[in-house]
Amino acid sequence: MVPNQAPPIPATITTMTTTTTTKVTKQQRPDLTRSSTVPNLIPQLASNRTLLAPEDAIYQGSPPRKQSPAVKKLQHGLRMTNGLNGDAPAPLQSGRQKSRHRSRSRMRKVTWKKLLWVKQSYPDNYTDQATFLEHLQRNPRLQPYDFWPLVADSTVIVQHVCSVVIFIVCFIGIVQDRISPVGVVGWGSVATFLGWVLWDWWLGQDDLFKHPNPVQLLAPQYNSTVSSASSTSNLSMHNFGSTGSTPNLGAHHHNPSSLVARHSHSASASSIQSATSQMTDQSPRLIPIFPAGSTSSLSHRTSIRLSTAKSALLIYFTLLGLSPILKSLTRSTSSDSIWAMSFLLFTINIFFFDYKTPEASSGNKNIPASLSTNAALMASTVLASRLPSTGQVFSLTLFSIEVFGLFPVFRRYAKQRTWQGHVTLTGLLIVGASGGVGLCMGHGGDGEGMLDFPWKAGLTGVVVGVISTCLAMGVCSWWLIGLQKYKNEIHGPWDPARPIIRRQWDDY
Amino acid sequence: MPYNIAMVSDFFFPQPGGVESHMYQLSTKLIDRGHKVIVITHAYEGRTGVRYLTNGLKVYHVPFLIIYRASTFPTVFSFLPIFRNIVIREEIEIVHGHGSLSSFCIEAILHARTMGIRTVFTDHSLFGFADAGSILTNKLLKFALSDVDHVICVSHTCKENTVLRASLDPLMVSVIPNAVVAENFRPLSHPAYSDTAILPQHLGPHDTITIVVISRLFYNKGTDLLVAAIPRILASHPNVRFIIAGSGPKAIDLEQMLERNVLQDRVEMLGPVRHEEVRDVMVRGHIYLHPSLTEAFGTVIVEAASCGLYVVCTQVGGIPEVLPAHMTVFAKPEEDDLVAATGRAIAALRANKVRTEKFHDQVKMMYSWTDVAERTERVYDGISGALSEADFYGYEAADAASWSATRGRAGVQSFALIDRLKRYYGCGIWAGKLFCLCVVIDYLLFLMLEFWAPRDAIDIARSWPKKLREEKVAGDGSSFPK
Repeated sequence: MVPNQAPPIPATITTMTTTTTTKVTKQQRPDLTRSSTVPNLIPQLASNRTLLAPEDAIYQGSPPRKQSPAVKKLQHGLRMTNGLNGDAPAPLQSGRQKSRHRSRSRMRKVTWKKLLWVKQSYPDNYTDQATFLEHLQRNPRLQPYDFWPLVADSTVIVQHVCSVVIFIVCFIGIVQDRISPVGVVGWGSVATFLGWVLWDWWLGQDDLFKHPNPVQLLAPQYNSTVSSASSTSNLSMHNFGSTGSTPNLGAHHHNPSSLVARHSHSASASSIQSATSQMTDQSPRLIPIFPAGSTSSLSHRTSIRLSTAKSALLIYFTLLGLSPILKSLTRSTSSDSIWAMSFLLFTINIFFFDYKTPEASSGNKNIPASLSTNAALMASTVLASRLPSTGQVFSLTLFSIEVFGLFPVFRRYAKQRTWQGHVTLTGLLIVGASGGVGLCMGHGGDGEGMLDFPWKAGLTGVVVGVISTCLAMGVCSWWLIGLQKYKNEIHGPWDPARPIIRRQWDDY
Repeated sequence: MPYNIAMVSDFFFPQPGGVESHMYQLSTKLIDRGHKVIVITHAYEGRTGVRYLTNGLKVYHVPFLIIYRASTFPTVFSFLPIFRNIVIREEIEIVHGHGSLSSFCIEAILHARTMGIRTVFTDHSLFGFADAGSILTNKLLKFALSDVDHVICVSHTCKENTVLRASLDPLMVSVIPNAVVAENFRPLSHPAYSDTAILPQHLGPHDTITIVVISRLFYNKGTDLLVAAIPRILASHPNVRFIIAGSGPKAIDLEQMLERNVLQDRVEMLGPVRHEEVRDVMVRGHIYLHPSLTEAFGTVIVEAASCGLYVVCTQVGGIPEVLPAHMTVFAKPEEDDLVAATGRAIAALRANKVRTEKFHDQVKMMYSWTDVAERTERVYDGISGALSEADFYGYEAADAASWSATRGRAGVQSFALIDRLKRYYGCGIWAGKLFCLCVVIDYLLFLMLEFWAPRDAIDIARSWPKKLREEKVAGDGSSFPK
């Protein structure tokens, strides 16, 4: 039983061997009757008919440069059952019917059924042309992308990357004693406060919208003025933020304070995040409890504002208490490890960040993924522990909470509210980030060269950064569109069904 | 002509399951038909070495490292020495692998082809194409099936799936369903097994109807649907009870649902039941509810129908092919539709429209292991050349001549190494080359083994004395096959 005792095959047959069943993709085929006609036939097969046949599974839409070996094999199968002798590529409909006629007339009286419980007069390996793979679906959920919407959507990613860069730039500035930490956190907090004011105002608009009173027949008009006003205020605020090279933070402390109070005793940065996430999950339920009567809603909102202020103070003082501990947290670790670790954590933050746009119906309350936020806060904690004084540690940690905890929520909401605001914010973030990077890397205003002026490095950074960001956004979008042609999803009855369950059973 | 067949799979008794019982039943029936069958599997706890099961079925438990749910660690070559030894010892002519997740089976097919033995593969499960795990598995399957002689699938949906996954010629794939041992799944009272006359059961409008669910409680068995549907079914039908048997990670969800809705008195949870006890649970009910999300064949609904239960099942995978319409009510895999379908089934039973007492005999006619063995035997005939190509593949000989050259002499794949390499090469740009490398190394290992452990140094095992075929009963065991 030595394996290669295959019978001596005549030379002609061996050449056929190579062309027909072998899976070699491209080969010079001798002029054989069947296989040489096959490739011409296939596109035609695919185009003019309603039913799917096996070769559709692989052929259509797969990258054109390579013909899958499976196609060939499947073709064989097809032709075999058809009994077509590989003659002229006949138009398929007729060919198919003819072949069925033939096979039927050969021995069968009954049509084949796709059933297991009936004894059929067909052999077990019979492949029915009409029904084989008829439920196959290819790329059922494919939605072609357009260029500009894709670029517009990529702004979300750019925003996040820029805010991470801005944070790192601030850290470098603090470490190198070029920026005062108090300045950073001061501007940051001011921006946060402004963001919160804006947020609060937007919420007020939402409430008005949700519970229209008979009084508010004026509402549309009111709303239009509001939107313009909000965009301007947005603008001014962003100017403000960028001059301080700090991103502005939309607080979302409109929530009841009880949860914060519960959590604040362990106010490590991450638990604050989790607390806010809990609160925000609940808030949509809370709002409808208070009907829209103007006085009651006012008092409700006032209490929310009060509790927000309370939780902000709690966070502030907890951080103040924790700062000395954080300062010496990683004293025994070498700086190299800290840089590597924070790089890794920021990478995690960027890759696992929840970039998706929440649906308008679900409201603005979705909190970004916790893994990403936790990674960023941990990164900023280890970075802060490199700083020499307690004040610096405190500033950086507070700033990181503003940047990574609150700012994403604000950005998300802002994008829903005003598109112009979103674009402006993106632009400002890009400018801020690239300018910051330029300032960090270059040196301007030190009297070297002819064209020297104080903000040279920063300006160069801005120019280079803005151009490269725009290029990257365009190229990546274009690339993604280009990659779509490789998409080849196959679905069929073998896929696990997705159960449709009406109510989650938390609701019973 | 009788063959010496080796069934190879990771999954075999004492572990319970569909593949396991399929292999056992098929082997038994093949032995009854005069073949010699052995089973090669890995060692289970407490099962090592060589064992004989009923009917002289010999089982080799090969010691191997188990990594996940009774699957062995996928080493490409390490199975070769002992496999070669067993194959030579037992004079195996056909290697029949089961289960695409079994690395034993995949390795055995590769080695068997290297040794010049015909191979058959039976696929029991469905796989998607989307997630990373499936992509890897599908590539592996493509590797294994590049050079297989024939493939058997348990349903037509499974065949479509396998053809796509492994890029096979559809003619190389036969559909041979699973079967049930009807005697083990008989209704409570049946004239064939007891003297009682057949009494068509008449359910009044207020009689209690019991719905049975027997399944492992996993996500893909549709336990979520079950959890959502039970309270609604019970709320709208007062005289309905549930019996749920099985265990799994979703059991907690079920129990929580019962507690929330205070349904303990109407739903009985039995926990895990052994396969032998399944019938005893089934005959306590009137309706069998099967909410699975994916299923290649769904043996359990055949068993339920055989027990005389009216079947409510989701229309997924191969399930619609399995039972005739008068035995089943199909539902979409949606909560609302499942509730509605169960309601229809209850109404039909109450109106006495369903002749459940006839189900058993009908199922007995539809599925039997003897039939499965016969059809499998035809596959063996086809690949070993006993059946002519035209007969086996069902087309004219003239047609065959042009393409069957690759298949060598008798309508089966050529063993020449160069032909095998060509088949593997087509598996992919990189994978093809890697697979070729594996095959070449396998062949070199095989040659080395031929040198180090020559064939004539391996003893030939005595075969189990056959009951029917040999007239001179081999009491002394001196009659070797051939």
